[in-house]
Amino acid sequence: MQKEDTDILLEMAHDIQDTYGYIPEKEIAELAEKLSESRATIYGALEFYSMFYTEPTGKYIIRICDSISCYMNNSNEVLEAVQDYLKLEAGETSDDKLFTLEVVECLGHCGEGPVMMVDDRLHTQISPGRAVEILSKLH
Amino acid sequence: MLQERKFLKGPELRDIDDYDFPGFQKALEMGPEAIVEEISKSGLLGRGGAGFPTGKKWELAYQEEGENKYIICNADEGEPGTFKDRYLLDERTLKVLEGIMIGAYTIDADTGYIYIRGEYSRQIEILEETLQKARKAGILGEDILGSNFSFDIKLVRGAGCYVCGDETSLLNSLEGMRGSSRSKPPYPISKGLYGCPTLVNNVESLACSAEILNQGAEKFASMGTEESSGTKLVSLSGDINFPGVYEVEFGSASLQEIIEDLGGGSQQGQEIKFIIPGGLSTPIVPSDNLQAEYSYEGLQQAGSSVGSGGMMVISTAQELSDILTRIARFYMDESCGTCLPCREGNKQIYRIISEAKYAGLTVDRLNLIQDIGDTMQEAARCGLGRSAQLPIGTILSEYKEELIEGGNLP
Repeated sequence: MQKEDTDILLEMAHDIQDTYGYIPEKEIAELAEKLSESRATIYGALEFYSMFYTEPTGKYIIRICDSISCYMNNSNEVLEAVQDYLKLEAGETSDDKLFTLEVVECLGHCGEGPVMMVDDRLHTQISPGRAVEILSKLH
Repeated sequence: MLQERKFLKGPELRDIDDYDFPGFQKALEMGPEAIVEEISKSGLLGRGGAGFPTGKKWELAYQEEGENKYIICNADEGEPGTFKDRYLLDERTLKVLEGIMIGAYTIDADTGYIYIRGEYSRQIEILEETLQKARKAGILGEDILGSNFSFDIKLVRGAGCYVCGDETSLLNSLEGMRGSSRSKPPYPISKGLYGCPTLVNNVESLACSAEILNQGAEKFASMGTEESSGTKLVSLSGDINFPGVYEVEFGSASLQEIIEDLGGGSQQGQEIKFIIPGGLSTPIVPSDNLQAEYSYEGLQQAGSSVGSGGMMVISTAQELSDILTRIARFYMDESCGTCLPCREGNKQIYRIISEAKYAGLTVDRLNLIQDIGDTMQEAARCGLGRSAQLPIGTILSEYKEELIEGGNLP
């Protein structure tokens, strides 16, 4: 049977995540029903994408690019400073559920590295000190 | 001194009230067959990286018959070192929109998609606003500009997977599946989205097409060389003084001139070790070959390719082992995992390279990487697996002695 192109999983999942900060199990069940797929299929698809979370994350998601252009502009120093400040390794969420730290591949701002994203907000040409300063203002 | 040749670049173009879509108006007068001819005559090659002739792609898509046909603008720009599509989406938004509309009209698609990477939050906002305004102004919708052509565009946000920039992975992703690649044939042109004929074009190719109709194929073909028409947006980054997006006429400059005249030379006058000229899936060009002409044929002669135009300059101040580890990690992380050569190959290459940092790199290990890389190049299903070997393999063979002697790898 040919599928309808009206419901696009990616967009539906983004909308759910924009609401909850992640994609809860009950929403996966609803997505499955809407799209006439099994929950396993939906879950499997969502898990493929690094920006979708099926578990709660921190209030802020911090993404630091460690691809080669940013690396050449000292992204590792920014990363170290942020890791020290947050006491987190890549992929971890802080105990107070405030921060999730991600080390990511190219964010498409290679000419302005190092680059740190706080949720949707992008910070370019960032120094270790500035990165920590930005994070210290979030609560 | 080399200057930019501005064909695609220009002042910010986002206000729909100030733009009358001249390329699209011309397209409506010309009709599909003449458009295909015009794009073919221009000699435009796909600007996403693969370099397939855009005119040929449009011709094939035009010839396909089907009740539903789709056009997709591939804005999933994720190739490390590449940020030129972001420039176009930011600054030349309406040219991109116009390119999609011309493509859609040519192949008779009534629905289009812009698949944009989820991390481009600012560009997502810009596009959402642009599409909304376009609908209001009657640029999208029923009977556009008084013609009997009806068309609308859906914006779809990706979610952090480089492989979805591959057109078949992108299709699976749009259909709500994991973004794994598909076997070709069938090609998306005949069986693409939901099994229907689908034209997938890169952002820059579409903006180029809009300008070609606007300014004429002759003008486009008069720039560049015989084999490389027109201009290319080059994203310059790495150890360079003035990183950014520059428009370069093919054949008008050497790699050296691009780096010196546009990029202001290497940072702090450091010695350049090599460059990666076209994004992380192109072979490196060592510093003694920077006189190579910037064109498809010039870079081919230099053992590399134009790719996406993401030019990264790497100086001797960098640790080779760290650069290698990052390239290997990128491919390992971004492999979709469907085909074995890419999934296992990239994992093993990463393992050998990251271990080499402590255990040293031996001739045996180098040969093993080469062997795995060759297998991936032959047997991987999509471009990701097939090109992973290119930058790594060329770094290893070019700096073999240095690496084995342990200059950088203790």
